[in-house]
Amino acid sequence: MSEMFGAMGIARLKAGLAAKEFSAAEVAQGALARIAEADQQVHSFLEVTEQMALAAAAQVDKAIAAGTFGEMGILAGVPVAFKDNMNLEGTRTTCSSRMLENYVSPYTATCVEKCLQAGALPMGKLNMDEFAFGSSTETSAFGPTRNPWDLQRVPGGSSGGSAAAVAAGLVCATLGSDTGGSIRQPGAFCGVVGLKPTYGTVSRYGVVAFGSSLDQVGPFTRSVEDAALMMNVLAGRDPLDCTSQPCSADFTANLAEGVRGMRIGVVPEFMEAKGLTDEVRQKVADAIKQVEALGAQLVEIDLPHARAAMSAYYVLGPSEAFSNLARFDSVRYGYCDPGHTDLGSQYDASRAVGFGAEAKRRIMLGSYLLSAGVYDKYYYPAQQVRTLIIQDYQQAYEKVDCILTPVAPRTAFKFGEIGDPTEMYLSDMFTISINIAGNGGMSMPVGLGEASGMPVGVQLISPAFHDANMLRVAAALETVYGPAPVAPDFADGKVA
Amino acid sequence: MKTLEEVFETWEAVIGLEIHAELTTLNTKMFCGCKLEFGAAPNTHTCPVCLGLPGALPVPNKAAIESIVLAGLATNCGIEKHSMFYRKNYMYPDMSKNFQTTQGPIAFCMRGHLDLEVDGPAAKERYRLDSLKVGESNGNITRTEDGYRAHVGITRIHMEEDAGKMVHLGGGEGRIAGAKESLVDYNRAGTPLIELVTEPDLRTPEEARLFMQKLRQIYLAIGISDCSMEEGSLRCDGNVSLRRRGTEAFGTKTELKNMNSFKNLHDGLAYEICRQAQVLEEGGVIYQETRHWDPSAKRTIVMRVKETADDYRLFPDPDLAPYDLSDEFIEGVRAKLPELPDQKAARYSATFGLSAYDARHLVDHRATASFFDECMALVQAEDEGSKFAKPLANLVINDVTAHLNANPGVQLAATPLTPARAVGLVQLVADGTISSKQAKQVFAAILDEDKDPTVIIEEKGMKQVSDTGAIEAVVDEVLVANPDKVTQYRDGKTGLMGFFVGQCMKAMRGQGNPQVINQLLAQKLQ
Repeated sequence: MSEMFGAMGIARLKAGLAAKEFSAAEVAQGALARIAEADQQVHSFLEVTEQMALAAAAQVDKAIAAGTFGEMGILAGVPVAFKDNMNLEGTRTTCSSRMLENYVSPYTATCVEKCLQAGALPMGKLNMDEFAFGSSTETSAFGPTRNPWDLQRVPGGSSGGSAAAVAAGLVCATLGSDTGGSIRQPGAFCGVVGLKPTYGTVSRYGVVAFGSSLDQVGPFTRSVEDAALMMNVLAGRDPLDCTSQPCSADFTANLAEGVRGMRIGVVPEFMEAKGLTDEVRQKVADAIKQVEALGAQLVEIDLPHARAAMSAYYVLGPSEAFSNLARFDSVRYGYCDPGHTDLGSQYDASRAVGFGAEAKRRIMLGSYLLSAGVYDKYYYPAQQVRTLIIQDYQQAYEKVDCILTPVAPRTAFKFGEIGDPTEMYLSDMFTISINIAGNGGMSMPVGLGEASGMPVGVQLISPAFHDANMLRVAAALETVYGPAPVAPDFADGKVA
Repeated sequence: MKTLEEVFETWEAVIGLEIHAELTTLNTKMFCGCKLEFGAAPNTHTCPVCLGLPGALPVPNKAAIESIVLAGLATNCGIEKHSMFYRKNYMYPDMSKNFQTTQGPIAFCMRGHLDLEVDGPAAKERYRLDSLKVGESNGNITRTEDGYRAHVGITRIHMEEDAGKMVHLGGGEGRIAGAKESLVDYNRAGTPLIELVTEPDLRTPEEARLFMQKLRQIYLAIGISDCSMEEGSLRCDGNVSLRRRGTEAFGTKTELKNMNSFKNLHDGLAYEICRQAQVLEEGGVIYQETRHWDPSAKRTIVMRVKETADDYRLFPDPDLAPYDLSDEFIEGVRAKLPELPDQKAARYSATFGLSAYDARHLVDHRATASFFDECMALVQAEDEGSKFAKPLANLVINDVTAHLNANPGVQLAATPLTPARAVGLVQLVADGTISSKQAKQVFAAILDEDKDPTVIIEEKGMKQVSDTGAIEAVVDEVLVANPDKVTQYRDGKTGLMGFFVGQCMKAMRGQGNPQVINQLLAQKLQ
């Protein structure tokens, strides 16, 4: 049995390092060994960066020996891993696509660089739906990731590998990206904390784009405090991303304040939504009762245009994706189908082989939606819907400080259970409007569903650039439900 | 094929231009920090952004925005405070992201104009200009003394990025079709480019050429580009169509490319107008197509036929937020606006009494205009009645320009001809120390020997002799030596005056003041 360093919280791990209970090298080796034995079952990693992890650990140990450990960053000695759409120089960044199977990053994404600067031990790159198109990680060209709570079930997606690695206790924290729910939904499915910050809080530079106006990077952790610590590392203006914003907030500052006096919005329409399962509705209703019991004031709010969010999303998302994925053309990098003598057939064949079905579906959809005559009918109205949804949230936040809703209509489903793409798209029915509006949203585990026995998450939604609000509510809920446990089959060094 | 003049009897040409200028004077590219440098080894000025690597994001170059606003202000455009970048989606290997970042319906600069002075031979291309009296207007032109003034509308100037450069090996004529290998150099990818689009207000190839020339002068004056048509930092496409005189509806237009000099611009348009006229007169139809001007064959050839409009799937670039310009920013740029060529020419006429023609020729080249300014700055205090301005203008327009034309690539500032020496030279002529003929020699000597004009005339013994006594002695000698010619002169053969002057000059080794010699000869031959 390997020591479960990845199952520790950041504070506990750093205290152990500072007290010389164990060295950073032992942390790295322990985490590597744990990944080697447990990830055969979970398949959350696409690449394990052993040498990088050991080199970073050596730096930390040097600082410990020199007595300067305290001067190191927030993540000094903490094993973390990154979704495979994030560039880390010298690693493959595949986006779980054949197209980029052998693409080695020549540079490092800002969010990854910030973790490295903060002293993190980079353990590797994590599986995802191909180019982040999906809600189950089943569209990965390199095989799906399994949910550590039940290996017959999906971990959610698209950041399924990032959620599963944390749920299995392989690493302390991971990064994911969220375009329509890709952090929050797998967070809920795997029973971990998953936070999508307000758009612009974390730099997107170096994160392979899906929907540029919707994508946002955020952390997966097992505790609210760790999520806040990760945000302290990640947030802030990046001169390389002109959509990023300055941020100097300490996200841990008001975690202990409780919710007394806070106004929490509940959306009756969401709680009555078609497709919401009884077990999820029951756990969410329970969480609502808990925050009220903790002293928050409940306020019913209306988001009249939220139901149009799905339609707007499937116009804006594919349109941006079509254009963002155009660069994968086989000419400079990526899969190149051999033997073609003219450019057009090389383009066609390389993209036909390199992209999976869901990627092709979104590219074709986007290509159609932006074409002459169609653009005015869909893209422009979708932008108008976007404005209306932003206004809905602005009006709601005149009455409340945070909104509490379900994350997903159901708990993790079984592999192959959902075959119809449009049914799969409904996984994101409660999360999408937040990407459209740009607010912060997070998934907070609140126990297991009665019918499935799988984790259920509630979604907390903050006003734009007030992400501390949802962290404060999450911290209060954590006092009731406890920090997220490692999935039982992987706890205490077990391998399912 | 008919001549242009013959064609214009029946047809009116409608011409619009699309002019791309690379902002070569900036240090870095449009959306990344890569250096802008012409002629560097291939793909040495590249980064994840301009190579379109996965995950890279654009950040607009503020200096480029300043340049385009400067261009807009200098061409009488309105500056849009709220504009956006758009993505123009098309796949080609020279465009690393497979979309070009450009602007949408609202560009940084909208609705401007330039006024062209069309005179001399250039005005002759205009159909029946003589039917207008001086001061009378017709459409966008107004008759002037020497020609006419044309008011040419500018639709917009927008910001975009250039593509990389492709080289096709092993095929015919360097084309991609049939090439064995195609190479791409992304050094140019992401170079800031501004595209100016004119209204279809131009009617003759000369007007198009003058518009391009004037725009080039302005861009050089505001310093946003080196405007090299040969190296492609200033490129012009022309849209041409014909309509029967007296009709309003536009005909089908063709788009003309590869007009990489003023002459090619004029000749390409002139050919295309005549070609279209022939096609139409023979009952044919003009297809909307892109044509390539081949200057050696002197004809335009089809590049590709546009059956339907290209669908570029233009949409707002989600990586670039709407770009807002503050009043302070715009006013800050306005404060940087230098004296523009038109203003400079007007000042030369008003302050120094130069003719409009001289003034325009001086400002034709930025180097010569600033040289003239520096010279005038040296003499202005003592220049009563502008006695230096005209000879200095002549020196610059004739001698200096000829020297620069004969030595392409030579910068005026790098030659031994300083403003002080030019002024010294003009002064020596003005006070009669040397003749204007000698001045030409001194001018050449300044450039050859890098010395002051006073030193040169000293060393060469070129000082002009104006002393009447000394000249009178020579005149007497010449008359005594040629009694028969004197008799012939007095008998009415006055053409012999030149002979006597020549003999005197010869005797004085060219240093006699010709005016004094003439005067004395005339007296003594009476």
